Amino acid sequence: MIAAIALLLTCQLLGETIRLATGLPVPGAVVGMLLLLLWLALIPRERPTLTAVTGWLTAHLSIMFVPAAVGVMQEGGILARWGWALVLATILSTLMTMIVTALAFRWAALRWAGSSA
Amino acid sequence: MIALPAAPLLWLTVTLIVFEGADLVSRRSGRHPLCHPVLFATPVLIALLLISSTPYRVYREATAPLTFLLGPAVVGLAVPVWAQRRLIRRLAVPIGVALLAGATTAIVSAVGILWLTGAPPVLLASIAPRATTSPVAMALAQQLHGIPPLAVAIVLFAGVVGAMTATPLFDRMGIRDYRARGFAIGVSAHGLGAARAFQVDATAGAFASLAMALNAIATAALLGVLAALL
Repeated sequence: MIAAIALLLTCQLLGETIRLATGLPVPGAVVGMLLLLLWLALIPRERPTLTAVTGWLTAHLSIMFVPAAVGVMQEGGILARWGWALVLATILSTLMTMIVTALAFRWAALRWAGSSA
Repeated sequence: MIALPAAPLLWLTVTLIVFEGADLVSRRSGRHPLCHPVLFATPVLIALLLISSTPYRVYREATAPLTFLLGPAVVGLAVPVWAQRRLIRRLAVPIGVALLAGATTAIVSAVGILWLTGAPPVLLASIAPRATTSPVAMALAQQLHGIPPLAVAIVLFAGVVGAMTATPLFDRMGIRDYRARGFAIGVSAHGLGAARAFQVDATAGAFASLAMALNAIATAALLGVLAALL
C-alpha cells in the first residue's frame, strides 16, 4: 500500500521536476503519468495493490475537484458577460468532437483493421 | 457571532457531508448526468461560504488535502492504459487516428467558436482543455494562464452535454460500432461520458475510459506544442 502510494508520488515528483527543469509546457502530473507507464513497461508484473490504490483514486475523482469548482464563485462577472458564449462553444465543440472522433475511428477501423461491427 | 473551529477541519467536514448528500441524490437518479454530485455540491458549498461570509481563499486552503489527491490520481491513469495494452496494440491505427482527430477537433472548435464571439484570451485558455478530465484541464488552464475553476465548470458542462446527447447522436449517424461510440464519447466528454458509456455497453465503457486517459496525454501534448509556438 505504502509502496504503491510512494510510486505514484515519485512519478509525480519526477514529472514536476522535469517540467520545472525543462520548461516543458505540460502539467507535471501528466509527465508523471507517462513515467509510470514507462515504469510499468520496464518492469512488467502483477501489481494488485497499485491497481487497487489507483482504482480508489479514480473512483473518488469527483470530490477532489469540488474545491476548484467552488472557485467559480469568484467568476460571477465573467459568467454574466461571457456565460452564453462559453455555453455555446462548449455544446458545439462537444458535439463536433464526438462526430469527428466516431467517424475517424470507423473509417480507420474499416481501412486498416478490416473489421467493424 | 460564535467562534468557528479551525478552517481545515470545518470545511473538509462540510465538503464531505455535502458531497455525500449530493452523491445520494445522484445514486437515487440512477446516475443521471444532470444529477452529477459536483453539480449539486458546488452551489450548496458556495451558498454556505456566502452565508458564513467566508472568503474563497480560506475555503481553498482548508480543502487543499482534497485538491492534492488530484496529482497522484492523474498519474494513476497510466494503470488502466497499461491494462489495455493488447487492445491498444491490436487497434493501434483506429485508436491513434481517432485520438488525434478528436483531440484536435475539441481544441480548435472550442477555442475557434469562443474566439468568434470576441471573448478575451483568458477565456480561450480556459476552454482549450475542455475535453480532458477535470484535474488535467485545471493544470492545463493554469499553464496557459486561464482560470482553473472556470475550466472545471466548462469540463463538467461538456461532460453533461456529451453524456446526454451521445446515444441519440450516434443512432442518428448510424454508428453501431460500440468501440467507435465509446471512444468518441471518451475523447469528447471524459469521465462523465465514460460513466454514461458503461451504462449503455461494457465495450463502449472500456473504450471510453481508455479514450479519456489517452486524451489527457494527447491534449496536453497538443496544447504544449501550441504554447511553445505562440
